[in-house]
Amino acid sequence: MRLKFRTEGGLAFFPGLRAPIEIDTSELREEEAAELVRCVEEARFFERPEGPEEPPHGAADLRLHTVTVEEGAHSRTVRAYEPIEDPALRALIDALGALAKKLGRTRRTHDAEEDRP
Amino acid sequence: MLPPYVLREIARNGSPAQRDAAMHALASDGTFRSLRQVTPPSGAPGMGIRGALDPEGRKRRTIYDVGNTQNLPGRVARAEGGGPTGDAAVDEAYDDLGATYDFFREAYDRDSIDDAGMPLDGHVHFGVNYTNAFWDGQRMVFGDGDGELFNRFTISLDVIGHELAHGVTQYESGLDYMGQPGALNEHLSDVYGSLVKQYRLGQTAEEADWTVGAGLFTEKVNGVALRSLSRPGTAFDDPILGKDPQPAHMDDFVSTFEDNGGVHINSGIPNRAFYLAATALGGNAWEVAGRIWNATAIDPTLKPDTGFRRFARLTARAVASLYGSGGPELRAVREAWGGVGIDPT
Ligand SMILES: [Zn+2]
Repeated sequence: MRLKFRTEGGLAFFPGLRAPIEIDTSELREEEAAELVRCVEEARFFERPEGPEEPPHGAADLRLHTVTVEEGAHSRTVRAYEPIEDPALRALIDALGALAKKLGRTRRTHDAEEDRP
Repeated sequence: MLPPYVLREIARNGSPAQRDAAMHALASDGTFRSLRQVTPPSGAPGMGIRGALDPEGRKRRTIYDVGNTQNLPGRVARAEGGGPTGDAAVDEAYDDLGATYDFFREAYDRDSIDDAGMPLDGHVHFGVNYTNAFWDGQRMVFGDGDGELFNRFTISLDVIGHELAHGVTQYESGLDYMGQPGALNEHLSDVYGSLVKQYRLGQTAEEADWTVGAGLFTEKVNGVALRSLSRPGTAFDDPILGKDPQPAHMDDFVSTFEDNGGVHINSGIPNRAFYLAATALGGNAWEVAGRIWNATAIDPTLKPDTGFRRFARLTARAVASLYGSGGPELRAVREAWGGVGIDPT
């Protein structure tokens, strides 16, 4: 299963957090991969509306999440503004957010090492 | 003539005779503001002249604990008049929504978000390790932060003021949350947020730090705040968060589809113009520069699709009606816009 995840918006713009992350579950630790697959199933991801619903009038500093999941012939992109009340979708986004944080940091450590003369 | 916030202070704390005189002055003062209070826009739930006669205002705060879920509203943790709870996020939200209400009431004679006593609802402990704060169209919502990069989002008075001010903009101009109008929407929230802090600390324009969100980053972050109004682009430069992307001049305007067309990016340009005007005028920023910007923010001709140049023109027009065209105020405002590459004429 392959996933793409991106968060936009919020009270400030942080260039370091803007890049989407791409995950291939075959490259994850077994339990991390299983957790993601379980979240995708519990969120009934391939049956969800693609969204996003319009944010409420006058709202500001809201964050918008974009999740794409590809599995076999299936591909679906779902976009949702916070707050995300559905606990199943929230669990998936929280799991992706945690991975984004971890991967972002590894990638950056990598870059820093490659930058060294 | 005494300004309304001084009259309110007298109405609140003076002797019965002083109180009567102050209430009379407030009720009969012939400003645009009183006209607005007597004749609320048709269909709006205006409270009419009562707003001017109620010296205590109608500060009605409710702080909810969302219990680390995203299911609003959560349970009531502290209501108006209730004592401290010992929960830092609850008590900070309560105190700082109060400070923001008092600022608008005393500095600009505004009665809450809608200028008609709207209740102030703050929701804390939203989400898990949640690193954001937002205005959802009717309430203010604050996360606890992740403890790694961000502290709890109630820690900065100016962030609370920023969110409440989004409500003010919604009820006044309704600036679109996209492109230049969106950057102006963000700009007004940063200006009000910073002014609330300066007002509470009693700082002049020279003494103020002109940041939004100081204290929000943990010590692991290389940065002082979310934004700087005085030196946009210098608030943070961190290996994880990246570098503060705000421009300080139209030459560096950022065209992007991200962030609703850069609403949190290009707001740096009008932010710096406000800082330049406030420091050129000197003294307390909320008294002259803030009054000009507030008059612009509530100007009925400030349309939802207003861009930077038209907004700049409206500030110059506000100066002329508040202070006349021959004084240092107009020169300061014109030079401030010129300093960021915007022609306000
Ligand atoms: Zn904002």
